Amino acid sequence: MTNRIDNLKAPLFIAWQITRDCDLCCLHCCTESAPGKRLSDELDADEAIALAGDIVRNEVPFVMLCGGEPLVAPHFFALAEALGHAGIRLKIETNGQRFDGQVAARLARLPVRSVQVSLDGDTQDVYERQRPGASLAKAHAACRAVREAGLPLEITFAPTRLNIHEAEAVIDRARTLGAFRFNSGRLMRIGTAGRLWDRLEPTAAQYRGFRRVLSRRQSVERELELCYFPFSIRDALRASLKEPPATMLVLPNGWVKVAAAIPDICADLRCTTVADAWQAYCSAWHDDGVRAAIRRAVNDESRHAEANTWQLMSVAHVEREA
Amino acid sequence: MMNEAKLSVESTKTVPETTAQKAKPAQKPAWETPKMEDVSEQVMAQPYIRFT
Repeated sequence: MTNRIDNLKAPLFIAWQITRDCDLCCLHCCTESAPGKRLSDELDADEAIALAGDIVRNEVPFVMLCGGEPLVAPHFFALAEALGHAGIRLKIETNGQRFDGQVAARLARLPVRSVQVSLDGDTQDVYERQRPGASLAKAHAACRAVREAGLPLEITFAPTRLNIHEAEAVIDRARTLGAFRFNSGRLMRIGTAGRLWDRLEPTAAQYRGFRRVLSRRQSVERELELCYFPFSIRDALRASLKEPPATMLVLPNGWVKVAAAIPDICADLRCTTVADAWQAYCSAWHDDGVRAAIRRAVNDESRHAEANTWQLMSVAHVEREA
Repeated sequence: MMNEAKLSVESTKTVPETTAQKAKPAQKPAWETPKMEDVSEQVMAQPYIRFT
């Protein structure tokens, strides 16, 4: 059996977590990022630039730079420019705390498809409960800087028991700020969110109300797209078993994940080329053990909490026959 | 002709033993080059891309 991805020589999209360091310590964080949480073995600037060159050589059309907070990485712009000047379309995920007009203007010289800012609340009180120490005013200012620089803006909203009642206000805010998309879905039980699950998980009734809001607003919004399917990471994984995504998730140390919700690592880009990592990724989706792990994650959401205990698979043999 | 991928994975370990066999560009003439227009909303809608 052949998957669609087996015919591609490289991924369509790379999500690259360039650091685990962050200037915030959000309760819902799926990467367990926080100030000082930079991994000891993260790719350094030279290694990251070399990887960017390999991504360019492999003609990957689209790369997302995220973290952690990507803007805290000293080599963020070097990376964005190495990729962007080569024609690769970019998506930047940021919390907006240090994203100002200068950052926006510099990014506007590159082929940036979108900047995604997290707005997990529409009042400072609620926003800060989920993002301790963060300023909602700064996040809003970041959104305005994105639009004033002529860049497309996406808003993301991670629903929790703390903020779900402000979802509709954030949708309104997203439209007012000029976003073209509002992203949301079920909270992922990964990382810090997994650890704090009992405090954060919205109730079934809250989710029902949230879904009603999303559905109602989707039917009336004209300029703003509401993107919330697949609603849960389990739904996404289930679909991936039929058709694995043509995407590659790269961790700060250069490891490549098979899927966000399971711990399996299929390649180490420190000692493997992008082409070989892609081959290992495609092969992993044929592996019975990996597929069984994904089925377990589909059937039991509590297993997602293990997703960050990364396990480097020992790939003993890979062959592709024409 | 369809490509067939084969992989055998030993027990998971924290230390890499070997990595994927080096791919030779000459062996992949039939592979498709990824194109931006193929980056569908479906590709972008994975939760970890959509909201992390």
